[in-house]
Amino acid sequence: MNPLLRSAMIPMNTLCFQRNFAACSRALVPVQLPSRSETHLWYVVPDEVKSASLLGQYSKILSPCEKEYISCVRGERLKKTALLARVLVRTTIARYQTNGQVDPSSLKFRKNIHGKPELEWDENDHGSPPPIHFNISHTASLIACGVTVNSPIGIDLEEKDRKIKNNIVSFARRYFTAHEVEMLSSIPDPETQRQHFIKLWTLKEAYVKALGKGFSALPFSTFTIRSRNSSRNCQSRDLSDSSSSDAEIVVESVDGSSSLMNSWQFTLLELAGTHFAAICVESDGSIGGRVFTPRKVTARKTIPFVEDEFHPGTDAVVLGGL
Amino acid sequence: MASAAAGASICMKSASCSLKQAQAPSRISGLRSVSLPISGKNFPSLRSSKGPFRLQVCCAAKPETVSKVCDIVKKQLALPDDTEVTGESKFAALGADSLDTVEIVMGLEEEFKISVEEESAQSILTVQDAADLIEKLIEKKGP
Repeated sequence: MNPLLRSAMIPMNTLCFQRNFAACSRALVPVQLPSRSETHLWYVVPDEVKSASLLGQYSKILSPCEKEYISCVRGERLKKTALLARVLVRTTIARYQTNGQVDPSSLKFRKNIHGKPELEWDENDHGSPPPIHFNISHTASLIACGVTVNSPIGIDLEEKDRKIKNNIVSFARRYFTAHEVEMLSSIPDPETQRQHFIKLWTLKEAYVKALGKGFSALPFSTFTIRSRNSSRNCQSRDLSDSSSSDAEIVVESVDGSSSLMNSWQFTLLELAGTHFAAICVESDGSIGGRVFTPRKVTARKTIPFVEDEFHPGTDAVVLGGL
Repeated sequence: MASAAAGASICMKSASCSLKQAQAPSRISGLRSVSLPISGKNFPSLRSSKGPFRLQVCCAAKPETVSKVCDIVKKQLALPDDTEVTGESKFAALGADSLDTVEIVMGLEEEFKISVEEESAQSILTVQDAADLIEKLIEKKGP
C-alpha cells in the first residue's frame, strides 16, 4: 500500500509516534492555508535549537539528496543551518494538510531551470496538489519560509547589522540602476545609507526569486525598485516619508516597459528584531484594482515538532516604504 | 563582454588525452569552450575522481590565481585564517549567500581588472570556477 495512504489512515496521536517522531512532544500543528491576499511567514532561530537529539530527529526526515548536500557543507554551524532550512520547508508545507495527514519526509522537491525549489507532486499518489507556493531564505542567524496560495513568492532576509565590504555607491554603480545609485548617493549618513542598501538588496532578491530566476538570469541593473507614495500619486523620493503607510514599493523595468510590473506586490519588514525581510508576491489583479492595499503578513516563530509562537505586532514589523 | 570565447580556442577533443568518458561536462570549468595557450604554461591536467565514468578535466588556473581567489573569499566571508579553502571549495558550502557571492565577484573584478557579466555568475560554484573564469577573461583582455 502507498505509504502516504497508509499514514493517512492512522489516527493522529499514533502518527506522532512514528519512528521519526518518537521523542517529540507534539505533532505538527496543522494550519489553514493563507487567504489569497495573505502571506504566511514561518521562521526558525537556529541558536534556539540546541538539542542534539532533536537535530537527529530532523535529519531523519530529509531525503538522501538533502543529506548528501549537508554532508558537503563545511562547519557545524553551517550544517545546522542547512538542516534546519530543509526541515522548515518540509514541516511548513506538511502543516497545510489539504489531503489528510502529510508526512514531511514524503514530500518531493525539484528545482526549476534556474534552481528555484518547487514542490513535486504526484497526482496519482496524492490527489490534487495543494495550491501552495513557497520560498525560503536564510542567514547565519535566521531561517524563514514564506507561503502563499496561488501566487508565486520570493523572500529574502539579511541581518540588519550586515556590513558591506565594498563601497556601497561603487557596488550600486556596478550592479544597480542609475535611479537607485542616485537614491543611495543622496543619503548623507553612512549608517542610514547602509541600511537602505540592505533593504534594497533584499527587495531586489525577493523579486528575482519570485520570478523564479535569480541574480544571473535577471541582472539587478535591469529593474529599479523604489517607493511610490500612492495617495498623492507622485514619485516621492523624500526618505523621511518612508514610514508613511501610504508608501508603496514598486518595481519598474529600466527600459520603460512597465506594463507587466504592476502585478508584483512588495512587503518590507523587520523580522525578529534582527533582520530585514522582503517579500515579493504576484498579485492576481483581483485584489482592489490599483488601490494600494498592503498585503497581510502573518509571521510565526517555530521549532518544528516542539513549539510555535505567534506574537502579532512584535515578530514582524512592516516598514512602510523603502 | 560575451562569456563564450571566440577565435583561438582548442576544442577539448583534440587534446592529447582521452576524454571519451567525460560524463560531467559541467565540471569543465562551466565554460562552453576552453582556450589552451600554446606556450604550454597551462597544459591541461587530467585528474580522475572517484568512479570509472567521471573524468574531471581541468585547465588548471595558475596556483597563484587560485590562491588570490581563496584570500578574497576568506576575507569576504570573514573565515578564520586556518580555514581550509581550496579550488574545490564551493562558495555555498563555505556559507556564502548571494550578496557574498556578488561582493566576492566585485572584489575579483577589482583585483584582476576584469569585468564579469552577471550571466556568468551562475557558473561560478567553486573557487576553481572563479579562478578559471578570471584567467579566461584576463587572456581575452589581452596585454
